[in-house]
Amino acid sequence: MEVVAEGYNTFETHKSPRGVVKYLDSPQDVISLIQSGTLTEYILLVRGGTTTFLAPALSTGAIGVITMSGAPESHLGILSREFQTPCVMTAHLTNSDSRYEVGNSDEAHFDEIAKTLEGMTVQLDCAESEVGKVIAIS
Amino acid sequence: MSINTTDGAQATYKQRYEPDDDGLRFQDLEFEGNFEGMEPIHDGIIGDKVLRQRAKSNVLERVSKEDALRAQFTLDELNDLNNYLSWNVWDVLVMRATEGVSGMIPRQEYETLAFMHEFYRWPELLRMTTDEVGAQGVLDIGAQSRSEIGTKVNCVHDWCIGAVGFGMGRCGLLALEAIQPSDYVEESNEILKFMQRVLWGKRQDGYILNSQDRYRARIHDQSLIDDIVGQLEDLEPSSPKHEAFTHFNASAELLAFLDHFDCRLGLGDTGPYELPNGNLLILRDLFVNEEEFHWSDVCEDAGLPHCYTVALVIDPQEMGLEEIRINDISTTFTRPKNYVPHIVAGAVFSREKWNTPMGEVRPIKIDDLGDHLGRIQQATLKMYRKFSRMSRRDLIWGGQYVYYVDMILPHLRRAGTYEKACRDYQLWEVDQRIANYYYEIQKRGFVQETAPNKIFSGKGYLPFPEGTDLRRSKYRWL
Repeated sequence: MEVVAEGYNTFETHKSPRGVVKYLDSPQDVISLIQSGTLTEYILLVRGGTTTFLAPALSTGAIGVITMSGAPESHLGILSREFQTPCVMTAHLTNSDSRYEVGNSDEAHFDEIAKTLEGMTVQLDCAESEVGKVIAIS
Repeated sequence: MSINTTDGAQATYKQRYEPDDDGLRFQDLEFEGNFEGMEPIHDGIIGDKVLRQRAKSNVLERVSKEDALRAQFTLDELNDLNNYLSWNVWDVLVMRATEGVSGMIPRQEYETLAFMHEFYRWPELLRMTTDEVGAQGVLDIGAQSRSEIGTKVNCVHDWCIGAVGFGMGRCGLLALEAIQPSDYVEESNEILKFMQRVLWGKRQDGYILNSQDRYRARIHDQSLIDDIVGQLEDLEPSSPKHEAFTHFNASAELLAFLDHFDCRLGLGDTGPYELPNGNLLILRDLFVNEEEFHWSDVCEDAGLPHCYTVALVIDPQEMGLEEIRINDISTTFTRPKNYVPHIVAGAVFSREKWNTPMGEVRPIKIDDLGDHLGRIQQATLKMYRKFSRMSRRDLIWGGQYVYYVDMILPHLRRAGTYEKACRDYQLWEVDQRIANYYYEIQKRGFVQETAPNKIFSGKGYLPFPEGTDLRRSKYRWL
């Protein structure tokens, strides 16, 4: 099992959800996923750390979230704590030097993370206080 | 620290309230602001201490009622408040501000327009309100919150008057080079005096901000706390009842964020109130249906009240609590971070309208929360669909109204001046300057880079120059 990405851990938990990473790019993607009835099969990958984009998914039982920006103090961080949905924020790939910088990250940074993680079966490790890990299991 | 090491740990959070304690660091970043060349400032209790040490006036210490009633601040006091608020904004928002694009709501765009709009328009509205109720009446607006739950006259709204309307508004306009540091001094005084009076009246301990009191917002009268404690139901960790309570809390909080366009105005925490058994009570207002927003029709259709108040009790010993902060934007953060498994009792209350008398606020049994949860989820999905179909422009102006109107709406409502503000001062109309900025701020990375850098580094809150006349407005556009 390989740690493929790391980021801020929003809260300490023994929960360690496992699922296929699904990148959600638009509100329509979110609505379609909920309507498909397969929400709980996926670890959701999103670009922003805000709450509204994922609102219905959080409310209806998302099992785990990875973001490419944001922190535990962001709205999504706060809500993932309240829902007890493990969440790794501002995740970066462990085999890449690219890091998110507010206002300075180009599209290539986000594309690299999305393309690498999309479709991968992973498990989130959120037991540590500061660092959340994304572990590839297949 | 991992979750395993907190099991059975002793709570040390009370050490944070000892005078010599500097608190924990919740982040690694450092703040410089207007203190170039001096030691950088950190987050938390130590940051508050340093700001007070560097102040030229006593405005950051406990102030008297007479101080709050005084007509205006001196130039030193204005600059001390400017410096303190710039640090406080950084303290509560610098990490949140890393969240990037929403994918749904253009938040940076609407925030930038709104706080500049506030700086231009609020002084007249707040002066009119002060004229209507008097300076003591403004104190009373704050004081009324001591005996109420489900009220938006709360930490975040009161803080926003000064930190957002004055602080970020002035900072944004300076960054846009629309104003100079010596402009709008009298108007700045009007905004900051209103903020100080409301907060002074609410806290009644001489402080105005939670960060001055080691992040405590213990504003409620004991009789109200006693009434709430009488309604608490015990919660066994990991039990279905615990799950029902915490899931309701999270779902209502989510809708409160959504109804307020992904901003903190939907949420209001106070506390921590220590109970006789040593546990800590936090009171959380969740505003799930603001009738002034047209998109709240889905909340009204779902039969949701103006506000749910969630009372949650944490066992600090079981949690090994090291620090708890109720920050100035009404949000609770702890170390360790995860307090939810350590909630040992709870209660929920419903306030139908913003002005429903306290005697008519209804408790809801935890076993009955399921029906409310279903309606909250229904409203959340409908509002999400509604937002997803709105144009970018509509989303920006919708969010702008949430900031610009809602941040002072509760104070104007209590003063009885909201209708007058709408009718005689055209509150809901957009100032032409702001309408023009709509295009300006979206050029040259202003809204994505320039404004956030100025606001969150603290470098954009330029002081009022020495010798500036307190009567000064803006007279020249050159």
